[in-house]
Parts: sequence; C-alpha cells; structure tokens
Amino acid sequence: METEKFSHHISRRFNEELEHVRSEVLRMGGMVQQHLDVAIQAIVAADSELGLRIAAEDHRVNRMEVAIDEECTRILATRSPTAADLRLVIAVIKTITDLERIGDEAQKIATLASRLTVDAHADDEHRQVQVMAGQVQEMLRNALDAFSRVDAEDALAVVEGDRLVDEQYDMIARRCITLMMEDPRSIRRFLDVTWVARALERIGDHAKNISEYVIYLVHGKDIRHVGIDAVKEKIGLG
Amino acid sequence: MRLAMLLVAGALAGWLYDQALLGAFLAALACLGWQLFNLFRLDAWLHTGRLEAFPDGSGVWPPVFARIEYMREKARRRRRRWRQLLRELRVSAGAFPDGGVLLNARFEIVNCNTAAERLLSLKKLRDRGQRIDNLLRHPDFVAYVSAGDFSRSVELPAPAGGDTWISCFMIPYGLEQRLLLVRDITGTVRLERTRRDFVANASHELRTPLTVIAGYLDALADDPGAPDAWQAPLAEMRSQSVRMTHLLDDLLELSRLESAAPCGLDQVVDIGAMLQRARSEALALPEHPRVVEATIGSTAGLFGNQVELHSVVSNLVSNAVRYTPSEGSISISWNVDATGGHLAVADTGIGIADEDIPRVTERFFRTDRGRLRQAAGTGLGLAIVKHCLRRHDGELEIHSSPGKGSTFICHFPPHRVALT
Repeated sequence: METEKFSHHISRRFNEELEHVRSEVLRMGGMVQQHLDVAIQAIVAADSELGLRIAAEDHRVNRMEVAIDEECTRILATRSPTAADLRLVIAVIKTITDLERIGDEAQKIATLASRLTVDAHADDEHRQVQVMAGQVQEMLRNALDAFSRVDAEDALAVVEGDRLVDEQYDMIARRCITLMMEDPRSIRRFLDVTWVARALERIGDHAKNISEYVIYLVHGKDIRHVGIDAVKEKIGLG
Repeated sequence: MRLAMLLVAGALAGWLYDQALLGAFLAALACLGWQLFNLFRLDAWLHTGRLEAFPDGSGVWPPVFARIEYMREKARRRRRRWRQLLRELRVSAGAFPDGGVLLNARFEIVNCNTAAERLLSLKKLRDRGQRIDNLLRHPDFVAYVSAGDFSRSVELPAPAGGDTWISCFMIPYGLEQRLLLVRDITGTVRLERTRRDFVANASHELRTPLTVIAGYLDALADDPGAPDAWQAPLAEMRSQSVRMTHLLDDLLELSRLESAAPCGLDQVVDIGAMLQRARSEALALPEHPRVVEATIGSTAGLFGNQVELHSVVSNLVSNAVRYTPSEGSISISWNVDATGGHLAVADTGIGIADEDIPRVTERFFRTDRGRLRQAAGTGLGLAIVKHCLRRHDGELEIHSSPGKGSTFICHFPPHRVALT
C-alpha cells in the first residue's frame, strides 16, 4: 500500500531511496526485537552468557541509527521532500531514536540478567516479570508491524495497550517494595528486579512513541500528550 | 434475395408515382434502418447478457445471434470449470500444512495460504505488496534474503512470539518470482532440546556413582592384602572407569557446546604458541610417530575461546597420533590468507575411506577397519571439534585416502582472525 502512497514521484530514484530508508528502519527494528528477545530469554532461562553477548552487540544497533540518520539528512538536503514524504522522513528520524533507546534498555536488562541469575530464581515476581516482558515484546512487534503496514488503527491499539504495561509495572514495583520491607537482605535482588521491570516499562513507552509516529505519518496529526479519546476524535476514529 | 425483392417492391411503388429511384432509395433506407435496429438490439443484448432478452430478429440475424449465444455459453462453461479448478487448488493450498508465500522480484507478497498467515501472522488482503522482510524482521531472515543464497533454509522463532520455531526455504521459480516455504519445526526443536537436556542430565547423574566406584577401585588396588589374582581385573576395571569418566566429560562438554551461542570476539588466542605446545605434548606421549612438525606460517591469532580452541587442536593431534604408526609423521600448520585462517593437521596414518568421511564427525561413529581397542578414544573427539568450530564460525574440511593418511583443515573466516 505504501508503494501507492509514495509512488507519484517523477524521480523513481527518490522513491527507491524512501523505500530503502523505510526497510532499513525495519531491519534495525528487527535487530532490536531480537536483542530484546534474547535479553528476556537470558532472564527467563537464567543464562548469564546470553545476557553478556547481547550487551556486547548493542553497538551494531547504534551504528545503524547513525547510518539511517545520515541517509535521512541527505534526503532532506537533496530532495526537499514535502507532505507525506516529509512526514515519512521525520517519522523515520524519530523512530530510530526510540529504537536505539529500546536497544539500550534491552542491553540494561541483559546486564541485569547476568547478575540476577547468580541467585536462585523462578519466584513469583520472576513470573510476573515474564508476563510483563511478553506484553512489551508484543507491543514492540505490533508497533513495528504498524510502521511497516502504515496502519494507523493498529498503531492506535498499541498506544492504548501501553496502559496495561504501566499497570503491570506498578504491580511489580509494589510487590517488590513489600518483599523488601519483609526481608531487608533481599533488597539488592529486588532492586534489580525493579530495574528490569522499569526497563521493560520504558521499552513499552518507546513502542508507544513509535506508534504515535505512525499515526502522524498517516494522518499528519501530532497526538503526543493527548488523551486517547481526544486522539480518536482527532483522527476520526471510534 | 430479400433485399433485392424489397428494392424491386420499392421501385415498383415509386414507379406508380413516377419516382422509381426515390422508391428504391426509401426501401434501401428502411432496410438499413432495420439492420441498424437489429445491430442495436445485439449490442444491448451483449451488454446485459440476459438470456430472456435473446433477440429473434429475422433474415441474417437469427443465425448470428444463435452463434454468439453458443460461443458465450461455451465460454461461460469454461469459466465455470476454471473457477472450479481454481477453487479446488486454493482449498488444497489452504489445507497444506506448510505455509507458502508467493513473492515477486522485489520480495513483495503476492499471495499466501492459510498456514502461512498463521505461522507468519500475515493477513492476505492487507499485506499484499508488503516486503516480506519488513514483516519478518528477524536478523537471520533479513540476512538470508539479502544474501540471495537460497540453497539452504533458515530457522528462526515465529514472529508471533511464544515458543514456535519455523524453518523458511526460498524457492525461485519462473521469471524472478519466489515461493517462500514455511514449516513449523517447533516439535523438532523441542525434541532436539529434550535430547540435549537428557544427555547432559544423564551424564551428570552418572558421574557421581562413577567417582565412588573409582575411589574404591583405587583403594583396593593400593591394598597390599589384596589377593594377586585380583590384580589383573582390578587394573582393567580402573582403566575402564577412567575411560568412562573421559566419556562422560566429553558428553557434558559436547552438550554445553551444542547449546551455547557463538563465541564472543573479545579474547585473542595465540594459535602459534598453542600448536607448539600441542607438538611437544604429542612428543611426550609414550608412543608417538617419529616425526611431529609444526609450521607456523603466521603470527596472527584467533578471536575466540582459549579452552575450546585448545580442545580442537588437542583432539585433532591426539587422533593423528592414535592412528599413525610410529614410523609415520604428523605435521601441524597455521596459515592466514585473504580467505581467513587455516589450521591443518596432516598425518600419514591409516586414513579414512571416502564413504566414511562425511560421517566421522558423528558421535560414536567408528570405522570398521584398522581399529585396535586400546587405540580407541571416547568416540566424541571429532564431534567436539565440529561444535567448537561452529561456535567460532569455522568449518572442518577433511581429505583422506586409506593407507596414505588424512588431513584435517579448520577454516576460520577473516573476521575471526586477529592480525598482530
């Protein structure tokens, strides 16, 4: 569908450039997704080696961000895009920043995993982190799918889904605080768990941001910091 | 005929009024009008295609109408047959347990079946025209698509998450078109994992009783009060328990190697020094070939794990020592060129038959001939070598001719070579 949307250019080369930058973003997204998967697996399977490996791989994501950024700057400078094309370039520039941050958070989780696994695991809060991780993974996947399909409705669903992740985070944080008060010796461990949950929550926020850029890309409306109902009204949904 | 009669009738009627030509002309005009009217009816009928509107007409028209109707009916029947065939094809494609996605030259989705929709979380109507690697973003798959080498398949977790694994295989066909076959391999992956876990657990559990047995055997052998008749069986039992310990160690090592991810790039291993050490170890063995030489053609090292690379070298060298008679020779070499690093161990031993070469890296694989029992190792050495190499992105190449000797070459890609 995007080929229809961006295909009115006289210069086919320009089209290809835009398509290329779009698939580069998704490639970077795929990499970040994999890093997140492995980081979460490191926590679930209590595998410290896995965690350390991802921590060492984050630089590849960073390199991609710089490369895509440069490409966008070049497009802006040489092609002076307008309307939908301009929105695409802007959405791309913003999306890669969020993707890079997600990569950083995944790296953080991986580092924490290598420390958490030293202790015994498979407690209740462990399972809760796992549930939350599943939600966040799905959010990120749906956000990138929405970007790929240029689908504002799917993107909106992701934005709405962020609330659940936030609730889950509050729940884990509350639990950890209770457990810490019960047994002060476990504070260090539960702090780590809280940090993992916090990182997951941040990833959820970044996924939400990416979805907002998709809505901006489709409708040309900035929906940041607006209530969900106002958003629906703004883009004529629901 | 009818036209001529009409014209004559017109001319006669005109002749009555002294206007024969005008009469004929009017008759021709009426005739033309009639034909035009019929043509118009034909056109309208072709447009609506309704059977009840089938025009009858007269003169030359009925056969024309009938023929057109006949052709249309035939076409309709053919179309119905095609549609039926297409529906059957689509239903059978949908019933196919493996997913299939049709892609065009730019890897954009043209069509896909139900299994593919399920395995890849696609929506047929919505995702038409999407690039497949935009939706299937796993880095391994993206690399597979961009490398363009479709002779192998690639395995990755399903995009929908969960514990599902899929295997993707791209088949080019026609003009720049591709069929992506997707298979659910969750069962296989799970089975493989169970097997690995079982081997690891069993080896681990067997180790403890074995330690106890070995301890008592040691104590018994050292006991001066033991009858002389026990000495031979005791010695045999001790050597067998040592062998069993080695076997379990190797099994554990192998299952660790299998489940671990590729080795990092942060440590540099000095291959030259390692080969020199392997040479002196070989010469220190009680029975060894007369000549053991090491040729270090490069000072470059390898990025990887010291312990694992050492086990590669020591397994290859001890194999060479084991199967080479004492008058033979062994040469170990290390070279680096543009294609990467090459570590070779060549011997002049008994060699391996051609048909056995692909199988020697299998666990517990034994060639039938030329086997002395005391020469036997654990049977896991080359399997360990293979898995260590895999973890270092390397490959094992084996050349051999029976009776003349074998050469084992480990190829490492350039990014693993640490130039100094």
